[in-house]
Amino acid sequence: MNGALEIRLGPADLQSACEALLRDGGRMQMAWAWYPSLGGIEVCYLTTQGVRQQFALWRCNTTDQTLPSLAGITPLLGWYEREITDLFGVRFDGQPEPYPLVLQEGARPILSPLNPAYPVDTAMPFKRQPARIPQVLGDDIQELPFGPVRADVVESAQFLFFYLGEHILHYQPRLFFKHRGMEKRFEGLEPALGVILAERVSGIGSFAHALAYCQAVESACDCTIPPRAAWLRTLCAELERIYNHLHYFGHLADTTTLKVASAEGKLLEERVKQISARLCSNRFLRNLLQPGGLRHDLNIYTGLSEELQKLQREINRYLGQLSRTSSYLDRLIDTGMLSRQVAFDQGATGPVERASGLDRDLRRDHAYAAYAAVKLEVSLRDKGDANARAEVRAEEIRVSTDLIAQLLTDIPAGAYCNPCVTKPNGEGIGWCESPRGALYYAVHLDGSGKLQRVKIKSPSFSNWRVFPYTVHGSNMMDYAINEASFGLSIAGCDR
Amino acid sequence: MSDVLLLITFSCWALACLLVLCSSALKLARLLLAAGALAGVMLAFFTLPGGMLPVQLSMNVGGSPVIFALSPSALWLMVFGLAAALPACWLGTPGEGKRGWIAGAALSLLGALGVFGFQDSIAFLIAWEVMSLGGAVMILGGRNAHGGGRRVLFMLSLLEVGSVALLFAFLLMGTLGIDGFNFQDSAVSIAALAPWLQALVGVLLLIGFGAKLGILPFYEWFPAAYGAGSGVSGNLMSGVILNAAFFGLSRGFTQWLSDTSVLFGLGILLIAAGVVSAILAALYAFQEEDWRELLSLSTAENAGIAVTALGAAALFRAQGQVELAGLAWVVAMLQLAAHALAKGGLFIAADGVFNATGSYLIAQRGLLRRSSWLFGIGAVFAGMSLAAMPPQAGFVSEWYIFQTLFQGFHLSSLAGRLVMALAGAGLALTAAISFATFVKVLGVGLLGQGDSQAKMIPWRISFATGILGMAVLALAVGMPWWLQTLDTASIQLFGMHVASAMHDGLILVPLTSSFAFISPTMLVIVCPSLALLAIALLIPAKRFGVRRAAVWFGGLPRENHRVATTSLTFSNAMRTFYSFIYRPTLDVEHEHVSQKYFLKRLQFNYRVAPIFGALLFLPITRLINHAAERLRALQSGNLNFYLALIGMILVLIFILGSL
Amino acid sequence: MPMWTLLGLTRGTATTDWPLGQDDGQKNTLGMPRYHPDKCEAGCKECIAVCLPGALTSAHSDEVRLHVDYGRCIACQMCVEVCPAGAMQTSNDWAFAVHEREDLRWKQALQSPEAGNLKSRVEGAFKSSLHIRHVDAGSCNGCESELQALNNPFYNLHRLGIFLTPSPRFADVLLVTGTVTYAMHDALLATYEAMPEPKWVMAMGTCAVSGGIAKGGYSSGSGLEGVLPVDVYLPGCSPNPAAIIHALLMLLERAPQRVHDGQMDMSRHE
Repeated sequence: MNGALEIRLGPADLQSACEALLRDGGRMQMAWAWYPSLGGIEVCYLTTQGVRQQFALWRCNTTDQTLPSLAGITPLLGWYEREITDLFGVRFDGQPEPYPLVLQEGARPILSPLNPAYPVDTAMPFKRQPARIPQVLGDDIQELPFGPVRADVVESAQFLFFYLGEHILHYQPRLFFKHRGMEKRFEGLEPALGVILAERVSGIGSFAHALAYCQAVESACDCTIPPRAAWLRTLCAELERIYNHLHYFGHLADTTTLKVASAEGKLLEERVKQISARLCSNRFLRNLLQPGGLRHDLNIYTGLSEELQKLQREINRYLGQLSRTSSYLDRLIDTGMLSRQVAFDQGATGPVERASGLDRDLRRDHAYAAYAAVKLEVSLRDKGDANARAEVRAEEIRVSTDLIAQLLTDIPAGAYCNPCVTKPNGEGIGWCESPRGALYYAVHLDGSGKLQRVKIKSPSFSNWRVFPYTVHGSNMMDYAINEASFGLSIAGCDR
Repeated sequence: MSDVLLLITFSCWALACLLVLCSSALKLARLLLAAGALAGVMLAFFTLPGGMLPVQLSMNVGGSPVIFALSPSALWLMVFGLAAALPACWLGTPGEGKRGWIAGAALSLLGALGVFGFQDSIAFLIAWEVMSLGGAVMILGGRNAHGGGRRVLFMLSLLEVGSVALLFAFLLMGTLGIDGFNFQDSAVSIAALAPWLQALVGVLLLIGFGAKLGILPFYEWFPAAYGAGSGVSGNLMSGVILNAAFFGLSRGFTQWLSDTSVLFGLGILLIAAGVVSAILAALYAFQEEDWRELLSLSTAENAGIAVTALGAAALFRAQGQVELAGLAWVVAMLQLAAHALAKGGLFIAADGVFNATGSYLIAQRGLLRRSSWLFGIGAVFAGMSLAAMPPQAGFVSEWYIFQTLFQGFHLSSLAGRLVMALAGAGLALTAAISFATFVKVLGVGLLGQGDSQAKMIPWRISFATGILGMAVLALAVGMPWWLQTLDTASIQLFGMHVASAMHDGLILVPLTSSFAFISPTMLVIVCPSLALLAIALLIPAKRFGVRRAAVWFGGLPRENHRVATTSLTFSNAMRTFYSFIYRPTLDVEHEHVSQKYFLKRLQFNYRVAPIFGALLFLPITRLINHAAERLRALQSGNLNFYLALIGMILVLIFILGSL
Repeated sequence: MPMWTLLGLTRGTATTDWPLGQDDGQKNTLGMPRYHPDKCEAGCKECIAVCLPGALTSAHSDEVRLHVDYGRCIACQMCVEVCPAGAMQTSNDWAFAVHEREDLRWKQALQSPEAGNLKSRVEGAFKSSLHIRHVDAGSCNGCESELQALNNPFYNLHRLGIFLTPSPRFADVLLVTGTVTYAMHDALLATYEAMPEPKWVMAMGTCAVSGGIAKGGYSSGSGLEGVLPVDVYLPGCSPNPAAIIHALLMLLERAPQRVHDGQMDMSRHE
């Protein structure tokens, strides 16, 4: 596959290879399954051999639909394996949590949903059953199943708390209420049209998803993009990062009941969305990308630089004021501690892992678009509390605004798009450092060059797995602040 | 007439005890117990407010005959205890050991009768021990729990400490042998003692009766022992038996001790002991999750309040404020009267809970829905009284107590005024905690949708609880009339018409209406009339069609009943706030699959640490064990050693005899 | 803390007074593409091939060659890009709220819409105080982002007397985003049941109107059709905050419906 070293493994070799990978300082990124045209099911594992080293793709065929589970060795694979079981029917021997993840308890599809033979547009029979929870013994523990319809305008998910008034004994989020089966919708589409779907997997990450998808297709079809496209793509990616982080601070200030700070954060976010709309006619930077470059040129209007500079000053003043507000800092310091070991084992990504001391950023380690040509600093903290996560994002905003200023000074002239012809049986991996972390798209094309399988690994899928480990043993008052400090998206996770 | 009733009372109970020992006519035995209680109540009705004339029994102790007489204060305390015990005796225990329970109940009641009535120390001590024994037999014989033996042993050992203290007190008073046994001469013989000896007598009396009342550190046997018995055992122990113990204490401090300087110091001691016990007992009661244990600690708290009132009476008397002393004493009587009825009602309700759910746990099982309306009324009225809510009897006595303590400014000494003020503050704290406690008992214990496995509460228990609850209300509403019965007693003890000065027509006043006043009699009429106002506003309002929708819970139906507030989560905030007293410990055990990230099971345990257990009882136990180890040397088994010991003792006797 | 008050005061007023004023905050934002049937070439199916949600279908007649259903349009502008003749053109028509689903289907307008007095659907009391309960029934969180933007200082929904409530018990309007996935179906119905009468339902976003690009499949529904009775349909992917405000005001009869038979009425002004 383009962009990754390929290694074929048999089912029996998987566990030893995984142990060797961890011993040598490597890391598992994600896993997915698909039905190759030759038959059977192939499970792919994406790994990196070490920091800033090339990706390696392990491919493992299974004819009897069973594989040994690797979740005992790298816990982060637990969720990937459960998803593969739900959607493909592959069984993983020794999986510590052999329960449905993506499909709710009580869903009984007649065939595995991602099986090509699954009848088109047929809903699954579903009779709701209680959530699967670990056995919690103790007469006095109170349970709170919060959701899925929660207060205010938020996405739907259910959170199960086992608590005693204030002290939380155990916490379990129950996601995938919003599972729309987006991955299956790509199948059979022209790669050029798939970007429309990719943009609508997660609204606030539209551009990152579109970018990762386009890069995957470009990698699968061996296309290149013109320099202007790379530059403009970088610019837009950083714009999206800025408005997402500003929304994050607005929300975080809201949970710590700093009303003016919350309003200011959301106002600044609105300004960036309006700038985005003026640049490309869409507030979410949608309908902009296609494999090969951009669909239309950006409207770099006069006054954009000055507006961005004014915005940068306002943002700096805002973030500076926040860092001096002791009531806000008090709620964040030592809240929701995430240790480095847990972050690594559970696969944390993005600002969450950088706040716990794991130095990874796809923009620097596996540069894409124009990132190789610009000066980029990666912010790092090692305390792992909510304050560290907020500080990492604050620094990222500053870095992004500086980066945009840098990019605006010399945008290359020329074409904004190269023609991209689809390649039969092409395969490619695309990635992007979205505002929430590492986002991967894996694209497999079929014999006629149409999309056969698209796997989306969103950063929120990884981070939602990590989040409960910071909640066990904490208290209810800190829960909302902790959750806000993670800055998670549910649509990205549920797809 | 009163003699006949007394005979009926005694013989019913004795007969009941004999019946269970010799035959299996259990129902008859229970009815006999109840009949005896009824006879006792009627005895009180016929002899109050005057008091019973002394009856000479045909037994002799040390040459002088045993005299039995019930004074008005004894009658007052006895009638309320027996009124609460009557339904309990009729119901019997829900546990397996019905026979043992009846025997124990009969013994306790006989012992209590003796404690109330015997006028000489030997008979008194025998009755006292019979009462304690009866309690132990009730709990153990009732066979409600495994491991009851250890708890009852703990109770008996602490009660023995009390008995020994009483023994020494009577020795010092000279009522054990040297000058006769009769209590009539106690006042004179005590006054002849040196002041420090008088103080010692007072302290010993406090320890002796306090062991039964639950003054610190003795309240620690309450949860253990009550928790091994059934609700009706608790009813008797917190009703008749508690009242009997208090009668003894109050007699000691109002009739026997009279030296003003001694009374002053003892009054302060009583107040301090009462308030601190009440606070600690209330705090620990709030954390309990078993009906019996919670109610037992609440008993200790109420007894502490009564002891405080008694201490205030002593303090006032020491400073010459006789009328106020009388007020304080009457208040203590009222407190225990209200307490006996209300606590008795709630203990019977606890048995109802046991019948419906199989355990005494305070948990939201929706029990109020599964019982008749009488049960609800009874439980709520009883709970309101114990939480000191108007217009209940508990509110009346609590209000009076505060009024008495507020009038501490009449005292001439600074120390006295200070102590009264601090006592007021302490009692305010206990009032607040006990309010929260009874909200927990009624709210968590009776409400909720619960699960469908709980059964209905039996009709008999609903009826009994309802009757006792309404009796509490009747006590409050009729207070202006019931107070008359204590008038004679107050004249006998204090020489003034205190009880009749405590009400002015239908309103209740702390001796003068210019200080403060309340009127449950009128509240009971006014408050429901306020409801008419609300109804009047509703009638002309526009009526919309009614559509019922499920409780909103985030969109999905509630999957289990664990969502309801539990006993622990209700009290958790206090546990954290007062953790320096509770020193709570939390254990969470996790069981994992393979790595620690995949949780399979979580087991949760919590404990609060009792104060005196570790500080006092354990060290003493260890000391005794240690001493016993040392003394084992005497059991050497060597015959020559024993002969040598005998010889040494003979020599000692000869030497001492010749001195 | 006083520093924040000072910062807030020095920033001044950031709120737009739209719809009274001109600044709706949507400069350059594209809306639904406009259909010009006269430019449409015979036999050309370019736009139908690239329309993922199926908003464009063949009409077998000569005057009008396309059925355009704006209720399925996600405004991706692909049809505009591929049309060789300019029959689909970009526009700023984002204020696309309608009361009847039929009004989202393009029809040749035979006459200008009647300005007749329709019976008022909304009691007077709600016109200046409306409470909205939002339910996410499976969206991509773009609509949630725009809804959350309604309470930022720029749009400031409260100044119009419209509020978002945490519980359906005190809500007047149920605002649904998302396609109604299998898992959210019963929760959505429970929320509707939990609301007291009178109540209204608004389908926000193309996913809620017709399922959008996430329609059907093994886990997703096709919007609110057949699930709940809808009072206002607002297509868009996602509708921007100004469009949402217009839709809410339209529900309250404080603003006129601007789209009839799939065409934006240009004669009226706000």
